[in-house]
Amino acid sequence: MSTWQIRFLSLWRREISRFMKIKKQTLGGPLLETFLYISVFGAALGSRIKELHGIEYIVFVIPGLIMMAFATNAFTNNSSSILQQKFLGAIHDQLSSPASPRELLLAFCLGGFVRGLIVATLTFIVSIVLTNLTVDHVLVLLPAIFLVGFFFANLGVLIGVRAEQFDDVAFAQTFILQPLIFLGGVFYSASLLPQPFETLTKFNPVYYMISLVRYGFVGFTEVNIPLALGALTAATVALFLVNLRLFQSGYKLRS
Amino acid sequence: MPAEDAKALEIVDLQKRYPNGVEALRGVSITIEPGDFFGLLGPNGAGKSTLIHCATGLAQPTGGEIRVFGQNAIADYGEARTAVGLAPQEVNLDQFLTCEETLEFHGGYFGMAKRDRQERAAELLETFSLTAKARDSTRALSGGMKRRLILARALMHRPRLLILDEPTAGVDIELRLELWHYVQKINAEGVTILLTTHYLEEADQLCGRIAFIADGQIAAQGTSEELAARYDVVNLEDAYLALVGRRELSRSHVEGGITA
Repeated sequence: MSTWQIRFLSLWRREISRFMKIKKQTLGGPLLETFLYISVFGAALGSRIKELHGIEYIVFVIPGLIMMAFATNAFTNNSSSILQQKFLGAIHDQLSSPASPRELLLAFCLGGFVRGLIVATLTFIVSIVLTNLTVDHVLVLLPAIFLVGFFFANLGVLIGVRAEQFDDVAFAQTFILQPLIFLGGVFYSASLLPQPFETLTKFNPVYYMISLVRYGFVGFTEVNIPLALGALTAATVALFLVNLRLFQSGYKLRS
Repeated sequence: MPAEDAKALEIVDLQKRYPNGVEALRGVSITIEPGDFFGLLGPNGAGKSTLIHCATGLAQPTGGEIRVFGQNAIADYGEARTAVGLAPQEVNLDQFLTCEETLEFHGGYFGMAKRDRQERAAELLETFSLTAKARDSTRALSGGMKRRLILARALMHRPRLLILDEPTAGVDIELRLELWHYVQKINAEGVTILLTTHYLEEADQLCGRIAFIADGQIAAQGTSEELAARYDVVNLEDAYLALVGRRELSRSHVEGGITA
């Protein structure tokens, strides 16, 4: 293994090690939360709303829940990890190492990505067992879910780097991320909303992410799939480049 | 490629202005030869830590040049940082890691192979009497143990230049002496050392050469004797007091009953 590979894997392992040490909080909690959503929307609401667009309601909702689990865990992990390390000064150990800005950024991103992937995968496995969830378009689902995970992992890095106190991270999560996800159509179809809410939903970028993932699972969509996939790719690359620029300049990382 | 006779640390006209306008370094130049034990002394806020942060990549200079064993610390930061081990002033251990992991991950950041990391970590834990705590979280360590672990971490990747930023602040006398014995030993083995401390007797005993920094500038540098001669006093402590404008605090005055 080359020096840079050892370096990168160490940085990445450190990120994974952090959330694995507190897995009741970082994996158990999010899993329980997702299963509660499935129970409430499957058992309670599902008994009243049988189908949406010809799809069993709980099956319609689960793709959004899987995406939400991936997104929130990737985001929360990275924003918290970076802020904690900045707060304790522990990040200086990585910053004073020979690691390049790209290696540091990728390691932070992939830490949250792996946490999101674990929660999303476990949710998927349980959903397959408990419901009639299927995968209709795997070639859309895989790039879509991975891009969503990487996008939110990068967003977590951005917020973590910019944050100066824990309140900054909590604010971004509570007042920006959660409303965007909840109003992005996880639990409903935008076409069923009255105006102007249907049109407003279409200005929410998360709506297109949920639509892509839902199309990958159940084959239903209200958006142009190639266009949405292209836009998500462009947004993810753009966010990564913004973060890379921040790491190169040392913004709020190096004094 | 760096020349064979490259200086361990060569800082030329280093400037650092923070975004809030504070000028922390105003044209600092120092040269440290390989194998030197070099002391950097100055009052709080003089620019010592900023200088160290600039040399280790934690702060970005706004002017000047830093070379570590001939490698530019900005343009060739990978090579330059590999040569440096930093024991910072603040306790900045990762609370999610054990002592063993702290060293193991640090070695990884510097590209050390797994077996080498394991052997080196075991050796350093033994050296610093931390073997029994190897699998304990860093949160569970006493203040002195944390200081030892920070020094072990700085040495993990076998740096050629060890930077110690007030490493004995707040530690008991036993640990302080233990640390200095070890640091003197590795200096004798060829590791160059840059030390900042507020304990002037330590600097006097340990450092071959010393620089005084004040208000972001090097006020004087040389051996203890040269600095004392420069300020027309009898020892390093009095030279320091002269630097900070507090000659009246000199122990020789107090002992002579002048200010007592």
